[in-house]
Amino acid sequence: MDLTYSEADEAFRAEFRSWLDANLPQEWRTHEFWSTKTEAQSFDLRREWEAKKAQDGWAGIAWPKEYGGRSGTPTQKAIYDEEMNRAHAPATVNTLGLTFLAPTVMAIGSDEQKREIIGPLLRNEVIWAQGFSEPGAGSDLAALSTRAELDGDAYVVNGQKVWTTNALRADQMFTLVRTSQESKKHQGITMLLIDMHSDGVDARPLKQMTGNEEFGEVFLTDVRVPTDRVLGEVGAGWNVAMLLLSFERGSSAMGQYVLFRRQLDAVIEMAKANGKAKDPMIRQKIATIAGELELLKLHSLHILTQVEQGRELGFEASMTKLQWSETHQDLGELSMDVLGYAGQAVPGTPTRDLGPMQEMFLWSRSETIWGGSSQVQRNIVAERVLGLPR
Amino acid sequence: MFFALTDEQRALQATVRDYLGDRFPLSAVREVYDDPSGDGAPAELWKAFGEQGWLAVLVPEEHDGLGLDLLDAVVLSRAFGAGAVPGPWLGTIVAGEAIRLAGSDEVQKTWLPRLAAGEVRLAFAPDLTQPVEYAGVADAIVAVQDGALVLLEPSDYSVEPLAVMDRTTRLGRVTVTGGGTALEAGSASVVGSPVDQVLDRATVLVAADLSGIARESLTRTVQYDKDRVQFGRPVGSFQAIKHHLADLHVSVTMAEHGVLFAAHALDAGLDDAKQAVSIAKAKASDSAREVTAAMIQYHGGIGYTWEHDAHFFFKRAKREEYAYGSASEHREKLAKLLVDD
Repeated sequence: MDLTYSEADEAFRAEFRSWLDANLPQEWRTHEFWSTKTEAQSFDLRREWEAKKAQDGWAGIAWPKEYGGRSGTPTQKAIYDEEMNRAHAPATVNTLGLTFLAPTVMAIGSDEQKREIIGPLLRNEVIWAQGFSEPGAGSDLAALSTRAELDGDAYVVNGQKVWTTNALRADQMFTLVRTSQESKKHQGITMLLIDMHSDGVDARPLKQMTGNEEFGEVFLTDVRVPTDRVLGEVGAGWNVAMLLLSFERGSSAMGQYVLFRRQLDAVIEMAKANGKAKDPMIRQKIATIAGELELLKLHSLHILTQVEQGRELGFEASMTKLQWSETHQDLGELSMDVLGYAGQAVPGTPTRDLGPMQEMFLWSRSETIWGGSSQVQRNIVAERVLGLPR
Repeated sequence: MFFALTDEQRALQATVRDYLGDRFPLSAVREVYDDPSGDGAPAELWKAFGEQGWLAVLVPEEHDGLGLDLLDAVVLSRAFGAGAVPGPWLGTIVAGEAIRLAGSDEVQKTWLPRLAAGEVRLAFAPDLTQPVEYAGVADAIVAVQDGALVLLEPSDYSVEPLAVMDRTTRLGRVTVTGGGTALEAGSASVVGSPVDQVLDRATVLVAADLSGIARESLTRTVQYDKDRVQFGRPVGSFQAIKHHLADLHVSVTMAEHGVLFAAHALDAGLDDAKQAVSIAKAKASDSAREVTAAMIQYHGGIGYTWEHDAHFFFKRAKREEYAYGSASEHREKLAKLLVDD
């Protein structure tokens, strides 16, 4: 057991911290600043800032140098996430492209795809959406029915995608489509890279219960996609999707830990201010959540150790997801318990949509659904880790 | 950055588990269970503990011990929990820690080498108003009296044996009649007074035993539910059961992390050691309670019988849940650290 960081890791942390000090405006670190911006304004600000961050070399932390990355260790990526959250830096606008698509292209993309996709992603010039879920294919992803039919040098795509993050702002969408009807539903699926600016792509916003519209639905009507926009083999889309999702496997939750821990501190401050901190039930809940968050951090250190030691990773990511999403939901509930009826009123000006705790409370309901619902994660843990029968 | 057991610690774990599987399986635990008037401390097992160095683990080398870390003792405690192992190991180890941390040179010289060799059995009493584990067989008891550590020899107390619910231990009511020897040579360190240090270390060792109980109970339940067929399917294929078992796996894994970190935090004198100890005990208590209850439930009728081993784990977990602070007591300690300080 040795929980100290190496000199190289500490130097990395110090360097990034001083970059953030110099380049992240003070006012950006407040909820007030962001709450006065429209979603479009917020997106543009973040996109621009992220591009500058990349320009200064703070992108692709764990990507190989040949792709413009820093060739950093998994620990350095975790430190990076930690420092981003510690500084209240805004989250990336390109998660799906950066976390999932880029490493998949590095692994199985053609040379041309590598050239075309990775550099612009790193510099945040191209925003990517993920076209997986459909009205009839949520947790049962392989039930997808969007069809792509070969017509000369292009596929003609028809169907509908839903819950698509960045649907309205994305330039490209990596999309699962059915290229042939096979007896098994996992077969005949292909991963297509669709230009969102093509004819026949109609992206519409969906309003979430927070009032935001960061996801949407995408209608695809006779969209022509050149055949060289297939990622991986035709018909092997299911395996490509599994490879793609596996890149979440070794990632730590250090970023979430730092963010949630700060949110808990705010809840504690509120409880002290309004007297709820004397309520024994509230105290028990505060302690329970604080404990679960520390355990989340330890689980992240456990995963980092496995990765750094080159040990085979199992399905720890499902446990990480369950631990952080369920705990964050409990934290959202606790924040409402502490606020009491006063929490029904939004603090600040009457034009403000939601206060930070209200936003956390509502948003946390989505976290046990997206990226594999808690029920799907429990199936994975039960079947893949414990070996229980299907 | 290395958050894991070392190869040596993993080897130690394998050695203990192999030994228990071979020489002291649950059928041997059952013999102790079915002999309530016995002393609950099998002599052969104790001899092996001494020979294997499992009593010497925390004794300094100058007193013929191994001088290892609390984390190494945690590896042992976890394996003993998994085996529902009876005997005065925990009391002996914790009393030894009190002597090591606060005993005079003479007291250390008198007790520690014999402790390391398995020649004496000790008991530790954090609260003399409560029943004391293995007070009846102990060659001495280290007790907390008026916030200080005292070494009591048999001439200083009498023991009234008590019947027990969890027969993987034995309990006695201790009445103190003599003064004993104050253990007051120790000094406060970053992690608190000697009494606090001893109690924290005991708490982590119990939490480790609980995490061992929890893991073993889960493993046995998963195995049973893979095999047990009802409605033409293994019962482990039903989501009502498998989802709960998945949650329990997450819970046990977190408890294991918490215990390892708490031991390391005490070993390394980390600032958040107090917090880590309470998180570990609260989580391990909750986790073991839930898993051992699920073990009974998901075995169905057989899990409720005396004949089945589930009750060994269920009762042991329940006893340890209240030892050195319950989950809610430790959460209140955490709340004090987080809210009041």
